[in-house]
Amino acid sequence: MKNTLWLVSYPKSGNTWFRMFLANYLKNITEPVSLDEIESAPISSNAVDFEDLIGLNPFELTAEEVNFYRPDLYRILSQNTENTGEITYKKTHDAYTLNSNGEPLFPEEISKSAVCFVRNPLDVCVSYANHSADKIDSSVDFLLKEEAHLAGNKTGQLCQQLFSWKNHVASWKEQIQIPVHIIRYEDMRLNPIATFGSIMTFMGFEYDEERLKKALINSDFKLLQQMEREKGFREKVQNCKSFFWKGKIGNYREHLSEEQIQRIVEYNYDMMRNLGYIDEQGNLTV
Amino acid sequence: MEIRFPFEGVEVAYSRNVVKPSFPILSRPFLEIGEREFYLDVRNVAQYTSANGEEVHIIPYEGADVSSIQLFLTGSVFGSILHQRCLLPFHGSSFEYKGKGIVICGTAGAGKSSVTASFCQNGGRFINDDITPIKVSDSGMTIVPIKSRIKLWDDALLKLKIENENFEKIRPTLNKFYLPLQDTSTIEQQLNHVFILSIHNKDGFVVNELCGMAKHNALRNQIYRKMYLEGMPEAEKSYFKQLFQIAKTIRVTQITRPSICNINDVMDCIKKEIDR
Repeated sequence: MKNTLWLVSYPKSGNTWFRMFLANYLKNITEPVSLDEIESAPISSNAVDFEDLIGLNPFELTAEEVNFYRPDLYRILSQNTENTGEITYKKTHDAYTLNSNGEPLFPEEISKSAVCFVRNPLDVCVSYANHSADKIDSSVDFLLKEEAHLAGNKTGQLCQQLFSWKNHVASWKEQIQIPVHIIRYEDMRLNPIATFGSIMTFMGFEYDEERLKKALINSDFKLLQQMEREKGFREKVQNCKSFFWKGKIGNYREHLSEEQIQRIVEYNYDMMRNLGYIDEQGNLTV
Repeated sequence: MEIRFPFEGVEVAYSRNVVKPSFPILSRPFLEIGEREFYLDVRNVAQYTSANGEEVHIIPYEGADVSSIQLFLTGSVFGSILHQRCLLPFHGSSFEYKGKGIVICGTAGAGKSSVTASFCQNGGRFINDDITPIKVSDSGMTIVPIKSRIKLWDDALLKLKIENENFEKIRPTLNKFYLPLQDTSTIEQQLNHVFILSIHNKDGFVVNELCGMAKHNALRNQIYRKMYLEGMPEAEKSYFKQLFQIAKTIRVTQITRPSICNINDVMDCIKKEIDR
């Protein structure tokens, strides 16, 4: 049954913000939902789910062995909610890949669709450096690294294959198994009603502008920052000061050197051009 | 290397043919479970079957190494034998400390083994790693010692200031090692206190002693490979009663620790709760 909807993104591209919007939209109450309720769209790389449902300790398997079981993991999760008739929302940072059996990690037969959030890689780079409490240069290297992956060491989450920024986006954009809607973070910020409205319509909801506006107010970036300050946020890395940091468009201008900008743009030029981050004349648009 | 099984009275043999359960209640592509039968496929390593709590067959994949075959035999497969015997296994490591039987439960990576090793450096006596069977009888609840060894990652050894003297790797591809311990308990120990360890991305510890149904439910969630019970309704029924008895008698404390913290701080936090 196609009852799983993937919320896909390279890290720091607006996925969590959207999940908070979605939690508010689904609950549809006057008060904003708490940051804890983001669990309505938990991450696909949850190691506890893996151990509970597959019956093996993922940290005693290689990443390749874990990936053998991941399609089955998502089939089980899909089956477990089949009777409810509800859609399961799953956040994922994984690129769209096949395991060494040649099977997609995200099986077509349980996948309703995917929303893929993309953000200017220059801003991603700065935000990722803050998130991982790392130096900007390391973050630049990470964005350009084809073997880049997250977690999967000894604890925490399952290993997630990312690729470089451009190939992460390409992997989802170019696959044809799961219908995918590509959304730019910048459009979410600059034109929220139309952009979030288009996502909800794509996801199969009837357009309801009042409900949409209420959910947007209740998931406003400043409100999320305030909630994090007051009660903390479980997805924040311990050494990182705040998960909801600035969220600003073009923030890279205050943090990246010319050389760092050049490295990112040169490597990702075609995809940045394709997504409108570079115009016809070759200028940065953001 | 010879294959070892952590429990007496179980016949373990290599086999060429896979005989899957005749009447599986739970059936997945890699796992089939009936009340007294079990099949697990650990890809690239081996296929395993077990039956009646007394026999295990191993069908290795070509090229599989013995350490890996051993690891899953003493983990998930051993769990199936315990369930077939209705010998309630907690997903936790255990030790005796100041005469009390302590079990540290938690998901993979919570720090069960590191904390246990830390206690064993500070007056505790090791009983089991990762899986702790509990025998429930009219005379009380006891921790059943099995032949297990503490498994620790390289960084945990460093934190515990244990020099790695060519310790045996649990798998050739992993920097996780079996820690040789001299002082281990081989007799049943009364169970007194179960700690449920979890992690958060905040500073500081959160401690919460449970009571009532919360205690029963929390203990139920600590059953090792609880998902097997979907195929073993009789075992599940038996555990339901056993857990009530356990919950009436022992203390259960949840501890949430920072994801980055000193192992000794976790130990000190647990010590305080044991003494309380």
